[in-house]
Amino acid sequence: MNRTFQTRDGRLVARLILLAHRFGCDYTELAVTRNAAVFSVSIDFVGNAEALRRLDAQISKLLDYEKEIA
Amino acid sequence: MIAQRLANNGARRVLDTLVAEGVDVAFGYPGGAIMPLYDALYGHDLRHILVRHEQAAVFAAGAYARSTGRVGVCMATSGPGATNLVTGLLDAMMDSVPVVAITGQVKTHLMGTDGFQEADVAAVTQAITKYNLVVRDVSEIEPTIHKAFTLARGPRPGPVLVDIPRDILEAKISGTPAPQDGPTIANAVRESFRQRFPAQAEEIARAVEMIRAAKKPLAIVGGGCRAADAFAEYRAFCALLGLPHAATINGLGAPTPGDPHFLGMLGMHGWKAANRAVMEADCILALGMRFDDRVTGRVDRFAKQAQIIHVDIDRSEFHKIIPAQATIHADLRSALDALTAALAPNPPRFDAWAKSAASHGGPLPRDRAKPGMMSATDVLDHFFATAPPATYVATDVGQHQMWAAQRSRPLDPHHFITSAGLGTMGFGLPAAIGTQIANPEATVVAICGDGGFQMTLHELATLRRYSLPVKILIIDNRNLGMVRQWQQLFFDARYSATNLSDNPDFCALAHAYGVHAESIDRLNDLQPALERFFATNEATLLHCACYPEENVWPMIPAGAAIDEGIESLAGESLEV
Ligand SMILES: Cc1ncc(C[n+]2csc(CCOP(=O)(O)OP(=O)(O)O)c2C)c(N)n1
Repeated sequence: MNRTFQTRDGRLVARLILLAHRFGCDYTELAVTRNAAVFSVSIDFVGNAEALRRLDAQISKLLDYEKEIA
Repeated sequence: MIAQRLANNGARRVLDTLVAEGVDVAFGYPGGAIMPLYDALYGHDLRHILVRHEQAAVFAAGAYARSTGRVGVCMATSGPGATNLVTGLLDAMMDSVPVVAITGQVKTHLMGTDGFQEADVAAVTQAITKYNLVVRDVSEIEPTIHKAFTLARGPRPGPVLVDIPRDILEAKISGTPAPQDGPTIANAVRESFRQRFPAQAEEIARAVEMIRAAKKPLAIVGGGCRAADAFAEYRAFCALLGLPHAATINGLGAPTPGDPHFLGMLGMHGWKAANRAVMEADCILALGMRFDDRVTGRVDRFAKQAQIIHVDIDRSEFHKIIPAQATIHADLRSALDALTAALAPNPPRFDAWAKSAASHGGPLPRDRAKPGMMSATDVLDHFFATAPPATYVATDVGQHQMWAAQRSRPLDPHHFITSAGLGTMGFGLPAAIGTQIANPEATVVAICGDGGFQMTLHELATLRRYSLPVKILIIDNRNLGMVRQWQQLFFDARYSATNLSDNPDFCALAHAYGVHAESIDRLNDLQPALERFFATNEATLLHCACYPEENVWPMIPAGAAIDEGIESLAGESLEV
């Protein structure tokens, strides 16, 4: 599963990797570039399909927090 | 010099911004890195409640929020002060409670040097808060605190931490924070979520179709009802359909007290009728609840006959534990209003099924106490029969919590305050303090076990200092009762580290803090003692010495299906 997104909070990458481990998943590729205050992030996650589905939902939720305070 | 210090530094800006957010009280404990903030508090309008341990500050802030729907605020110093907040932040996270925690941090140039009382509190709390924010410049204080409140309030509420280095608190800043307008008031915020998360017509249509097709629908209400302040809509919806309904522990108070169609709390220690209805239902309306494992028991056997309609403002809850055939992603009030409006012209009625579901209840099974000894369930039966209907009950965690949850019929979801998702011992007394501060005229009772009470009993000092008329009911079974029960049932009665027969004299402890107390151990003395307990206008503690081996029944053993409950030591199955 790939998630590609932009964030102003670079710490989110650490959060997502820890979350993936919590769900018994892992990541195989991580690319981050920074342009001014915005990070462009791409992460490939691997794991059990059900865990990936839940991870995906959690990632969307975490990304939504940033929209709330944008 | 002092006037200047108060007038225009970062610390003052923090307090002014809190006030602009509508905050009237903060619970906290001072220390080095947060001293500038405490200095600014001196003479400031913002009320501060000094607790005796930071954990109590965050529990009290959580209870303030649970009992009012407003954001609870706590503050602590860096390092040990901040780490003492950790359990309470997670507690608020698990139960979706809006809390903002302000922590002092070591000076910016010391961050990362293992400075005195330095903790990377942002890293520590990342996984147990909705979000945390570290302030790096004094000009960021005001916008950062506003962001914290925005996030804490929702759409799904939760805790947010703001970490502020000491030099930023001390830095000069000019101007005053802009007062916030309407949306900072809790009701207006909820209203904004209703508008931003309306129920979608197609989702409502699908749910209505399923409800109309159902013969045995059941509603299960959860903590989302408190968060969305949707209990009036929930009650109207259930009444319209004559719907049987059950509540998770966080949903208690959503049903109209005395509603005969309410089957009680469901789950591990839930009422037989509620658990049985789950197994019999052909359609379940899951309303702001998240299918916690204490609710579902064995997931693959949960509600096998039922189509599930899941309503939640947090999309990530859908299909997380129990797959749903229909979802409504919306604010619960909007969803219930829309469902009611769609069904009202020609509502299906489920009275016969509701009556049959309720008829399978029967009284709660209970253990018999040894002759001459008082049983905890007798105490709680009398307690709830005597308590004025508008009493706020805050519980600690353990058997007494489950007995209280089984028996309590709160006025609304703000009146039953319990650490549900995290099950945090030590919560009861500080939670009662937060509730009493938020509701000064109300009757507030902390129901505690002898174990949990000893985790935060130092807060008796807070009762005394602020003359808070909190009442404390201690169910003393001289055991860590809930763990003892599991040892008896599932660990061959090997009672490892659960015996508290050397408990202190709780009345003497209360007296040492200047709190009135009395102790009883006979059922005959209970009712008069309860009358005195409720009559007094001061802090008081009623210590009830109870039979030590009473268990909570019914019980669905961990990993068992919701229809595999036992209701006595002999392990007799419920006939579900
Ligand atoms: C902070 C914390 N530590 C440990 C536990 C595990 N635990 C759950 S219930 C319980 C026993 C509680 O005993 P008591 O407060 O006397 O209440 P009772 O069960 O006897 O009513 C324990 C140790 C917990 N929930 N919270």
